[in-house]
Amino acid sequence: MAVHKRSYHRYAGEITPPWSRFRIVSRYAFENALRSKTFIAFFVLCFFYPLGCALALYINHNQRLLAMFGTSSFFAVDAKFFFHFQNVQGTLAFILTALVGPGLVSPDLANHALPLYFCRPFSRVEYVLGKLFVLASLLSLVTWIPGELLFLIQSTLAGASWMRTNLWMAGSILLGSAIEILLFSLLALALSAWIKRKLAAGAALLGVFFFGAGFGQAINAVLRTNNGSLIDLANLIARVESQLFRQYAVRPVSIPTDWAWLALLAISAFCLLLLEKKVKAYEVVRG
Amino acid sequence: MSAHSMKMRRLIPILLKEGTRVVDPQHNNHTDHPPAPPPLRRGVEDQRIVFEDVSKFYGEVLGVNRVNLSIPPGITSLVGPNGSGKTTLMNLMTGLVRPTRGRITMLGIPPDDPERLFHKVGYCTQFDSFPKGLTGYQFVYSYLRLFGHPHLVADRLARQAIERVNLAEAAHRQIAGYSKGMRQRIKLAQAMCHQPSALVLDEPLNGLDPLIRAETIALFRSLAQEGRHVVISSHVLHEVDAISDQVVLLSNGYVVAEGQIHGVREEIHEHPMQILVRCNKPGDFASRVFQEDYLVEARILPDGQGVLVKTRDADRFYLLLNRIAQGGINIESVAPADDDVLSVYEYLIGTEESTK
Repeated sequence: MAVHKRSYHRYAGEITPPWSRFRIVSRYAFENALRSKTFIAFFVLCFFYPLGCALALYINHNQRLLAMFGTSSFFAVDAKFFFHFQNVQGTLAFILTALVGPGLVSPDLANHALPLYFCRPFSRVEYVLGKLFVLASLLSLVTWIPGELLFLIQSTLAGASWMRTNLWMAGSILLGSAIEILLFSLLALALSAWIKRKLAAGAALLGVFFFGAGFGQAINAVLRTNNGSLIDLANLIARVESQLFRQYAVRPVSIPTDWAWLALLAISAFCLLLLEKKVKAYEVVRG
Repeated sequence: MSAHSMKMRRLIPILLKEGTRVVDPQHNNHTDHPPAPPPLRRGVEDQRIVFEDVSKFYGEVLGVNRVNLSIPPGITSLVGPNGSGKTTLMNLMTGLVRPTRGRITMLGIPPDDPERLFHKVGYCTQFDSFPKGLTGYQFVYSYLRLFGHPHLVADRLARQAIERVNLAEAAHRQIAGYSKGMRQRIKLAQAMCHQPSALVLDEPLNGLDPLIRAETIALFRSLAQEGRHVVISSHVLHEVDAISDQVVLLSNGYVVAEGQIHGVREEIHEHPMQILVRCNKPGDFASRVFQEDYLVEARILPDGQGVLVKTRDADRFYLLLNRIAQGGINIESVAPADDDVLSVYEYLIGTEESTK
């Protein structure tokens, strides 16, 4: 029998804490995303509306301009203003997700790269967190961060009393954005995990929203019910956000808001289940 | 006698102590399976890869069944036809799949503790699995960061590993432009870059040209000589024979034999040992040895310079050789003719499944 005397030295230096390692995955995913000129162009476009809103807020509080036009304000800065802002940025966030999301998991699956991640001290949860972090941070930059900045600008210009009265709106912006970010991200990751082609995964994400809305309306019309709206993701988000921003008259009530919350939770759970099934070191194919 | 046969003679008693065993897969079922190795002392277990009665089923499909192994440091080869369970065994070692039944420890660490396990174990899968757009250096470096190494350490370790597989010049080229052999080597580099105690390498010699193959085998030897475990799977039987300290023969999810190949051959009693004897009087030699009842066959070689002997008792035959040599026949060399992996593979698994 061969006798091998142990003569090697294992690395015994310091290592980074395990919780921080998901950022390595995110870093490379960011680098990949930033290689796309389409993405960069659209990402820049996403800041036009917030910048326009900031300018509008400034003008709305500019005494010289107000005096020139003989008015106390050009428009009301209230929950409706932020609800509208949330809708516009939410739509842009969705398109941004469709651009970035499909490329996050599918290339790793297509390249059989998952075993490479998981034969390191790195778990499936950390992998999904790493990918989720990419979308969450990008979408945060176009949703709640500019939203809260606008709220701060308005608070600064309108005074502390306005801020105290409307502080709940800051929470609504944050919560509404968090719902959008989580739902879009989970959907994109789940589709990216199940559809290996990046383009097809992007198309599927758009399909889930648009065909879901159409199919839901068809169900409502044929079966004379409102329950078809439960598969209309845009409607579900709008219902929940209209409650958050207290804009009850904005959309006709098709389904109770509680149902909308439950449906969004169920969809998120289903996406997690899809990810759990697919994000594995080895896929066991039966049959 | 040749050096090889002398070495073999010295090895036999040690092999038996080390527990070389051959298992009859026909009788290896739920009621009659190979016995588990005796429990190892804690310190010993910490230096071995241990499988205790491990089974893995994918639904109703058998991955591996009732595997009992205790793998010491050195080069261990997993040998078997496609679908025999080699990759499943490797995935079980590295915790990428969980056993349906049984217990596994890698150097004393259960595979379901990745934080501890993967600092000691490096795995190289058989797939060419490279994230798009990375250079060889980035590939090794980025996965080192997942181990938790800070930038400077990861940079140093990545460079060391790349140099060790002789890819320093191509380190900053995109992997997409690498040849098959370069891809295999960069995969090896990522498996060993964090200085693990055990390397699990799935088909690491595939696609390598003879020169690089020789270099890679030398690398495995040097890793083993440092006291590491190097577990490889391979279809190239003559190479397995040349490089392995021990082999694990697999067929249909069962371990059919394990240990040093010479010892495994000794245990296969239904096939007489073939021994090639080079001597000056092959006719006399054949008539002399054929008087022994444990001799099955003695065939004079076509060149008339030796005899191929088949015997049921190699030990007694070697003792007989001494007497024959003293009797005036000049024996030039004695070498076992069928104690290589290929022969053992054919005897135990069958020629119809022999891959090469």
